[in-house]
Amino acid sequence: MDSPTPLQPNRTDLILQTQIVLHCRLRSEQPESFQPNLASDYVRPLKPFRLAPPHGNLGQRGKKKMDPARTPLGKLLLDEITPVVMVLSTPLVEEACLKNGLSLVEMLSPFCVFNNIDVPVRTASDQPYRIQKFKLRLFYASDIRHPNLEVAKERLKQVITRAGEKDDLYSEPPQTSNLLSSSESEIQPSWFEFFNKELVRTMSFSDHEAFDHPVACLLVVSSKDEQPINRFVDLFNTNKLPSLLNDGAMDPKILKHYLLVHDYQDSDQEKATKILADMRSTFGLHDCRLLCINSSDHELIERQDNPWAPYKSGDLPSQCLGCFLNVDDYNEIKDLLQDLSSKHIIPYMEQKIRALNQEVSATRKGFRNQIKNLWWRKGKEDVTDSPAGPMYTFSSIESQIRVLGDYAFMLRDYELALSNYRLISTDYKLDKAWKRYAGIQEMMGLTFFMLDQSRKEAEYCMENAFNTYLKIGSSGQQNATRCGLWWVEMLKARDQHKDAAVVYFRICDEEPLHSAVMLEQGSYCYLLSKPPMLRKFGFHLVLSGDQYKKSDQIKHAIRTYRTAVSVFEGTTWGHIKDHVHFHIGEWYAILGMYELAVKHMLEVLACTHQSKTMQELFLKDFLETVQKTGKTFEVLKLQLPKLNISSLKVAFEDHRTYASPAAASVRESLWRSLEEDMIPSLPTARTNWLELQSKLVSKYRESNVCVVGEAVKVDIEFKNPLQIPISISSVSLICDLSAISDELNSDACSSTVGSQNDDDSSNLTTDRDMSSENFSFSSSEVDFSLGGGDTTLVQLMVAPKVEGILQISGVRWKLSGSVVGLHKFDSNMKNKIMKGRRKAKHSPCDNLKFIVIKSLPKLEGSVHSLPEKAYAGDLRHLMLELRNPSEFTVQNLKLKISHPRFLNIGSHGNLKTEFLSCLEKKMASERSVVHANSNNLSQTVFLFPKETLIQGEMPLLWPLWLRAAVPGHISLYISVYYEMGDISSVMRYRTLRMHYNLQVLPSLDVSFQVSPCPSRLQEFLVRMDVINRTSSESFHVHQLSAVGHQWEISLLQPVDTIFPSESLMAGQALTCFFRLKSYRKPLTSTDKVSTLSPLLGSDVRLRPEGSNEPLFDISCSPLADFHHCERLHQKMSHQGDPNAVDFILISQPLKDNITPGIADPPHLFSHHACHCSTSSTSPISWLVDGPRTLFHDFSASFREINLKMVIYNSSEAVASICIKTFDSPSTSGHTSEGTADLSSGDQTGWHDASVVNNIKVTSDLLGARVGKSLSLESVPPFIWSGASSTRVQLEPMSATEIPLQICVFSPGIYDLSNYVLQWSLPSSVDSGNQEGKSQHSGTCQGYPYYLSVLQSV
Amino acid sequence: MATTACFIIVSRNDIPIYEAEVGSATKREDAAQLHQFILHAALDIVQDLAWTTSAMFLKAIDRFNDLVVSVYVTAGHTRFMLLHDSRNDDGIKSFFQEVHELYIKILLNPLYLPGSRITSSHFDTKVRGLARKYL
Repeated sequence: MDSPTPLQPNRTDLILQTQIVLHCRLRSEQPESFQPNLASDYVRPLKPFRLAPPHGNLGQRGKKKMDPARTPLGKLLLDEITPVVMVLSTPLVEEACLKNGLSLVEMLSPFCVFNNIDVPVRTASDQPYRIQKFKLRLFYASDIRHPNLEVAKERLKQVITRAGEKDDLYSEPPQTSNLLSSSESEIQPSWFEFFNKELVRTMSFSDHEAFDHPVACLLVVSSKDEQPINRFVDLFNTNKLPSLLNDGAMDPKILKHYLLVHDYQDSDQEKATKILADMRSTFGLHDCRLLCINSSDHELIERQDNPWAPYKSGDLPSQCLGCFLNVDDYNEIKDLLQDLSSKHIIPYMEQKIRALNQEVSATRKGFRNQIKNLWWRKGKEDVTDSPAGPMYTFSSIESQIRVLGDYAFMLRDYELALSNYRLISTDYKLDKAWKRYAGIQEMMGLTFFMLDQSRKEAEYCMENAFNTYLKIGSSGQQNATRCGLWWVEMLKARDQHKDAAVVYFRICDEEPLHSAVMLEQGSYCYLLSKPPMLRKFGFHLVLSGDQYKKSDQIKHAIRTYRTAVSVFEGTTWGHIKDHVHFHIGEWYAILGMYELAVKHMLEVLACTHQSKTMQELFLKDFLETVQKTGKTFEVLKLQLPKLNISSLKVAFEDHRTYASPAAASVRESLWRSLEEDMIPSLPTARTNWLELQSKLVSKYRESNVCVVGEAVKVDIEFKNPLQIPISISSVSLICDLSAISDELNSDACSSTVGSQNDDDSSNLTTDRDMSSENFSFSSSEVDFSLGGGDTTLVQLMVAPKVEGILQISGVRWKLSGSVVGLHKFDSNMKNKIMKGRRKAKHSPCDNLKFIVIKSLPKLEGSVHSLPEKAYAGDLRHLMLELRNPSEFTVQNLKLKISHPRFLNIGSHGNLKTEFLSCLEKKMASERSVVHANSNNLSQTVFLFPKETLIQGEMPLLWPLWLRAAVPGHISLYISVYYEMGDISSVMRYRTLRMHYNLQVLPSLDVSFQVSPCPSRLQEFLVRMDVINRTSSESFHVHQLSAVGHQWEISLLQPVDTIFPSESLMAGQALTCFFRLKSYRKPLTSTDKVSTLSPLLGSDVRLRPEGSNEPLFDISCSPLADFHHCERLHQKMSHQGDPNAVDFILISQPLKDNITPGIADPPHLFSHHACHCSTSSTSPISWLVDGPRTLFHDFSASFREINLKMVIYNSSEAVASICIKTFDSPSTSGHTSEGTADLSSGDQTGWHDASVVNNIKVTSDLLGARVGKSLSLESVPPFIWSGASSTRVQLEPMSATEIPLQICVFSPGIYDLSNYVLQWSLPSSVDSGNQEGKSQHSGTCQGYPYYLSVLQSV
Repeated sequence: MATTACFIIVSRNDIPIYEAEVGSATKREDAAQLHQFILHAALDIVQDLAWTTSAMFLKAIDRFNDLVVSVYVTAGHTRFMLLHDSRNDDGIKSFFQEVHELYIKILLNPLYLPGSRITSSHFDTKVRGLARKYL
């Protein structure tokens, strides 16, 4: 504490040192010229060795050199901690001054700041130095008291409010990047500094610190006053003096200076001079002065930079201030104050320091005094622990040390100040005078700062002071704030912005307004710290904004939030974003700036992460705000509801028209392939257009085409991201329709911008359009409401009414009836337009651009009574209706159906006839019609008769036949082509596309197995398996027909034994056998079986005997047609086999389970089984013919028996056949081979795997047969006579006879099966066939042929 | 169990990819955004501190009134941030380590795009379970 080395005033040292540093640097460049001047100006020959310390240690540590006096805090301290002069004046003085619009203190204040006063001072230990800068603070005696807190608060509030008024809330908020690049003074609002100063001033004139105690007293009396001398005495009446002087906190014996003010406008100077002489004689020569003012007589003095302006806070124009004070007065005031400070106050303070220092040294310094003091303090251990601590009067040594310290501080003798502060600090601590202790710590911190010494200690002192102030409770809060502000400034001066921000945060107290300002300042500290802490910046701005809001400073709140918005821009922290935007919006709404409010609130609308209540709150507030604006807002990219752009689908009709939306959603390629051979090829179509409107078409070849009066449909999906329902109304498309002439002239590049709806007609349409049509197009409006999280697909339409270019640019909707949301379909989005490949390569923008052409006829079509569900095999009569609503005719109609197997075109003739009756068997003469129709089938496109025109009200009806061919889901596509009757139209033809879905349920499974009859050539056994696969339906099996004139089919058993119950119940299976006979002549087999030959055949009635229902004619139109399709479809299984047989099973549903009330249309089911192979194993078949029983007398001779083998070649090639006979029974190797062949060959005749067990039966049968032949081994042998091998060539479809002969030697039963037929076909014939299905060559085991030879008697 | 605890995983791009209020205190309406604000601001501190140490667990790095922010930085610079009012350093450390393991499992999922939001409900239940266990 007591430093052994004498502490020198080092202000001069400091200057000196910097100069030397500068000097040295300069000298290296300019060796000679500088030194003398610098030295003579600043460096007095002091002790040369004192140059470096006390700052040397700092320099050595390499820290940044800093002049504390130049920092903001240094300036603040030099400004604020300066001697106070108490002013006591008479009313007349004030009156004289008020002529200038100023009070006395205000008039004098500008001259209290001295920048170069240059007063020599000596320290307590006689070290001389000079004071350059000096300042006096003048206060009226009445102001020297602790300021009223409430008043102070009110004033601070006003400061803030006024600052708030100036803010321009409409301007763009600052950008973060700008904030970062600008300096501190640019970022922070300028009123912060002012506010801080005001806040510090509210703490002034406290009794625990001495620097606010008046050093001198200025007594002012006017020359007009009566008895001026007495007035002077009266003025210093103790009653009027501040409490500080009265209650003993400070010494009432202070320096007094007497001033006589004389107003020139009142009288001459003589009287004043007389009074001055009196004064001098009374109060002393040097302490009295005369001040003459208002010298300028009735003429106002205008000043450019009025010195009083900064000191006057009122609203008076600054020109009026000091208007009667001319240059003389000005100089006189200046002289007065300069004299006062340099000749009176400074010497007085110097003197006082010296005196006090001596006293302190005498009582407190030295070892003895310290011990004594310590002991004495210990004795006062049980002092009351009041927050203010014990009362110290001015005469107490503690107060004197404090005064000494403060005076030393004010005269910049910081070393002395520090030593005294240190001395007193421990005393106060021991006395538990916490407030004083804190004050001392505060001053110590500041002194350390001013000395630029030991930063750590300075900070420690400040923190200690701050905490101690806080500890003493509410009374210390204000002081803590001041202490904190100084501390912050100290940290800021040392670039410790981060720490400063923390301190700002700690300064916050209960007062929300102060907290708000502090937090805001703190936030700027975060911004200024290196590296900038933007998130903290934003967070503290938000905190500050909340505090501003609490204290009703909405403008400030908005200002802070606006800055925060720029910080949090683009953040993905949802709650933060919502909070900021929602509150700023709310506050704008409070201020009535609804547009801005709405703008911010829009940001929070789509807050999916918020809870339901928050979403409700957001939406409610938003809608309220919007309502308050009284306008309907148009908001681009409104977040509510969300538009699913990828769901955008555009459906329009150019030459392709659709009967239903379902048809429109079918892939274009499907239609394209369907219509391939129906529509004229593209180039020719285009030439047709070019003839007419070549210009238009060539220009907009890429664009889509739509027709006047026909709607373009846009499907788009809306999604509600919130959990609460929202209502959407008036959803419509934003479109633009500009006339063609316009577009052509302006070269199409002018994309017509502007949201034009049907309400406001286009500004780009030409006048002609305007006059002729009010609205150039009409668009649909859709209303709907979306529940929480719902998604809705909306179809919007726009129908142009005039020709031109139609551009769909976006969609608009109304949210809750108040906000209009717009969404532009911009070019970068991917919209899915289902129309063809031609469009795919253009930008999506073009896809929403349409050329509108003149209105055209458009067919509407539908298929009546098409069921959605049908059982397989169901045959129905349908009606196609085509309608043309326009007055123009269409002609040249064509129709194509995607699945002729399911849907067939009837003839116009059976439009009228009864459904079933037309199918019934009729006389042969009627068949010609049917044949003509079946000829139509050869073409895949059905041409309507040439004379068919559709016009006006008359619809065209055309019969169709539906047959549900196979179970499953089937999409049926029907396309109708038609040409315009009006040749001048741009489009020559159009197509109508219809699409239907059909679900086919399984009904009857029919399978056939045909096996050749072993005993007869050309006869076959047919086994039919029928299973009812339905779950509930029962069927009558009506008839079975074998198709083809060469076949005749007949029952093996009577019907009644097959169908005891007459019907087939659900799930029931049935097997029955038929005999099938081929009438084909072997020699006529060369004529080809034409696929187009009329379907003749033989039928078997499967109804019980009693029923006389007619048989159905399978050669009749629908049945025959469908059979043909079935044939084509089932072709792959067995191609080109002339021996294949087709069966048609016709059944009817049981009528019982149909309610009698409903007139159900008659149903007919037909099941077609085609290409049932008759030649199961090989292309050849043979029959051994001969006697069965013979009588012979073996005693005479052996018997030769002649047999005949008829071989039939059923293939279409020449077969070479080799007959081999064996005398011994065939080896097992042969038989097994044959068995395998047989079983594999058998399968070709079967369709359904469900009857697999039948194959097994067959093979068992074969096996048994082979076994039988083996078992006959013991039979007496016979021998084949003649060649053991015969080879024949057999023409296709022909038969030949080969004689065979055997010799038997004894009676017995002979099995003549021990021969094989080896056949082979030329391979070229079979090359086209399916592999593995037919053989090129094979071996057939002989049939058993039993011959009984008996001994003749 | 802590009365207030807000756990957030912040991706390396400063985007929150997982958020959970795991405290036992009854939820206040404005708590969510205050917690977000505090944690968001604490990222500034993490940014400074993360490179000064090789430890993943940075301990308590920031505070706001009585709420403390503890941070754990993974090698991929994903930050686990916990806002809490309890002083249980060991528990928090274990919590972070176990969550890190869970997070790595999430990362191993080939269908998870690193840096995207963690929507796995399994992860959520596990994290809440860990919070009950350690905090």
